[in-house]
Amino acid sequence: MENIISWFRECFTDEAILSAIGVTFRMAFFACLISSVSGIAFGLMLERFNFKGKKLIIRLNRTLMGMPPVVAGLVVYLLLMRRGPLGMLGWLFTIKGMVMAQCLIIVPVMTGMVHQHAVSKVPAIREFCITMGADRRQTLWTIIKEMRHDIYFCVVTCFGRSISEVGSVMLVGGNIKGRTRTMTTAISLLKSQGIFTEGVALGLVLLVMAFIIQWFCDFLQKEESADENY
Amino acid sequence: MKITDLKKNMGSFSLEIDHLDIEPGKIHGLAGHNGCGKTILLKTIMGILEPDKGTIDLEGLNHRSMTMMMQRPYLLHGSVYENVIYPLKLRNMEVDQAEVDRLLERAGLLAQKNQYARSLSSGERQKLSFLRAIIFRPEFIIMDETLSNMDPDSEKIITDMIKEIQETDPVTWLIVTHQTQRRDDLCDVIHYMEKGRIINETA
Repeated sequence: MENIISWFRECFTDEAILSAIGVTFRMAFFACLISSVSGIAFGLMLERFNFKGKKLIIRLNRTLMGMPPVVAGLVVYLLLMRRGPLGMLGWLFTIKGMVMAQCLIIVPVMTGMVHQHAVSKVPAIREFCITMGADRRQTLWTIIKEMRHDIYFCVVTCFGRSISEVGSVMLVGGNIKGRTRTMTTAISLLKSQGIFTEGVALGLVLLVMAFIIQWFCDFLQKEESADENY
Repeated sequence: MKITDLKKNMGSFSLEIDHLDIEPGKIHGLAGHNGCGKTILLKTIMGILEPDKGTIDLEGLNHRSMTMMMQRPYLLHGSVYENVIYPLKLRNMEVDQAEVDRLLERAGLLAQKNQYARSLSSGERQKLSFLRAIIFRPEFIIMDETLSNMDPDSEKIITDMIKEIQETDPVTWLIVTHQTQRRDDLCDVIHYMEKGRIINETA
């Protein structure tokens, strides 16, 4: 038992591991924040407004929801490389670039999920708001408040997707030690070097995080299931 | 309220109301078979649906002084109390706790005041929807089969409350119910609908 504890202590005082954890969280937090704000807005707008080409946009978004992360990474790499259209930003091999790649993956997921929930729930909420005499601002606020459990669920899912992603962050971040190395890219590298101890420690941290996220999702679903007629 | 030459096309169904007069302070009933267009008419009056043609003259009323109870009321995530005071919060009106409690008790929902609203039975949901509609004292109230899912006792409580309101501070009601006896007992005027049209009116 003592061996395990000292092994854990050793692992979690290692600067490289702590840095990978920090980078992962920073990247996931900002990617999730940007994706949530834009995904919620796009999802609700897609439900609210009818316009020419709406079906095509929904179909395109669904296609992007299944986009392989490596492809997203490649696209962002090509955009950010020195001779690329966004090369002047100097974001290649930085957390900003990794966040950009993550957003390309997560925004369509967030938009699609929010839109799906909105289509089934918002019309009834909007009708209710009209019958209560709510103005536009009050209606929007009520919609967001009433959909909060769905929105939490979408955000948590996207956060989970963000922290577990390897392909795009490897391509755009370059897996630079202490700068752009995340938990997943570190595990991948450690495995290829045959260093399993630290790899397992990082894997455990990811598993604990996955457990917490899953627990949180269950908690939200439990609250939803209280919607029963006794 | 005056409705003139109202037309609303809903695919295979078309609502065509040449003329409908809703007298203020009276209880109007709307009768007709399922699918004759009652709910479409009510939703158009409420502003949920846009008419294709014709006018609805609200004669001084606005949509904030009107309300509608739906066949299947939407309940907010939250307690019974939070649902009841929702229209007051929308209007920045002060919540009179004693009045809320009095109404909840009258409707037999005081014990469930802090209960999750969506755990109520369908009859209780309708009663909650009724309280939520009357609490901000609107001038025009639409009830779309609100009495349908209630047991006879609850139905009597609600009809008694409607009568009390009419005795003290009369408002205009437009009520859809299939209970003929209750409708005849409650309504001052009954409008009959068939295939999207008003075919008859009895006082």
